[in-house]
Amino acid sequence: METLLLPLFKNGFLSPEANFFFAILMGFVFGFVLERTGFTRAQYIADTFYFKNLAVPKIMGITIITTTTWFILFAYMGWIDLNALFTPGTYVWPYVIGGLLFGLGMVMAGYCPGTAVAGLGTGKSDALVFLLGVIGGMLLYFYLYDFVAAFASTTKVGTVKLQDLFGGNNYSSYIITIILEVGIISFLMFLQKLSNNGRN
Amino acid sequence: MKKDYWNPYFGGVVLGTMLFLTFAIASQGFGASGTFSRLTAEYLVNSDKSWLSNAYVASYFKHSDSALMNWTVLETIGIFFGGFASALLAERLMFKADKARSYPTTKRLFWAFVGGAIVAFSTRFARGCTSGQGLDGMATFSVGAWIFMFTTFAAGLIFSPLFRNQWVDKEEK
Repeated sequence: METLLLPLFKNGFLSPEANFFFAILMGFVFGFVLERTGFTRAQYIADTFYFKNLAVPKIMGITIITTTTWFILFAYMGWIDLNALFTPGTYVWPYVIGGLLFGLGMVMAGYCPGTAVAGLGTGKSDALVFLLGVIGGMLLYFYLYDFVAAFASTTKVGTVKLQDLFGGNNYSSYIITIILEVGIISFLMFLQKLSNNGRN
Repeated sequence: MKKDYWNPYFGGVVLGTMLFLTFAIASQGFGASGTFSRLTAEYLVNSDKSWLSNAYVASYFKHSDSALMNWTVLETIGIFFGGFASALLAERLMFKADKARSYPTTKRLFWAFVGGAIVAFSTRFARGCTSGQGLDGMATFSVGAWIFMFTTFAAGLIFSPLFRNQWVDKEEK
């Protein structure tokens, strides 16, 4: 099979040094957009869970729809190898427990790591304290590693894509993704309408 | 401070296009939690070499003498300056912590710290956060990312009543 152009780095069209340069550049743009969209405000993120403001799930959903649409178009044109894109392999139970803890921490703190870094850039004190907590949590994990390592690697199923669940291709995964994202945003907007504190 | 944030749909299209470009160039997407894991590992190893017998910590030093020679670490530095530049231009630099008006600041910062620790711990199980696992994984059709995002939002909703006073002003009910 011929080597496709994209992704540039994996296919050898970009030196590691140039890729490091792009890391800083793309990070800068990511942080910039996080601030422009309100993700640097803990209040904005926490409002999601009280149905006061659904900007966060809307942005996330539209982001995924946009990215996957570009992927599918470029893959259709034969310009990008979607299988060369990095994604973490799946560990079922660690992901379930990890997600439950993450959600608890997020509604407690109002940040996730990326938004807190951008938030720290805007000067916010709660983002700074959150990130100190993050380092504390990492320390805790390393100290407890011998006790949690076994659980962390249970139910390893490797890289499983949506299409692998029933034997489709990238196009079927794309369609499922669009349906899920549109469905979730619509459902949340419906719930917001039901709850009286929803204003927008 | 009364400058409006971007329309979420517009913001999503911009962010999605940036995520696509990042994948197309670097072969990986956005990330953040890995940076703090590496930063912590680097600190531990620098202060005591015996930490290298910890398999998890050691995995960060396989390809380099420093855990910080890494794509996501550099990208995270970019996130910080991007947030700063955008806030500066929009006149939205601010020091204060977000919370409901009547909620005490010390309690707010206490929960920010504890929440940060819980979030960090959980990302080691989940192999990433809402960026590296959530956005990147959903964009690459990973089933694991959907498991993570569903449980994250479910837990956020389940535990939200416990933190209502922190986020919702009393008069808003």
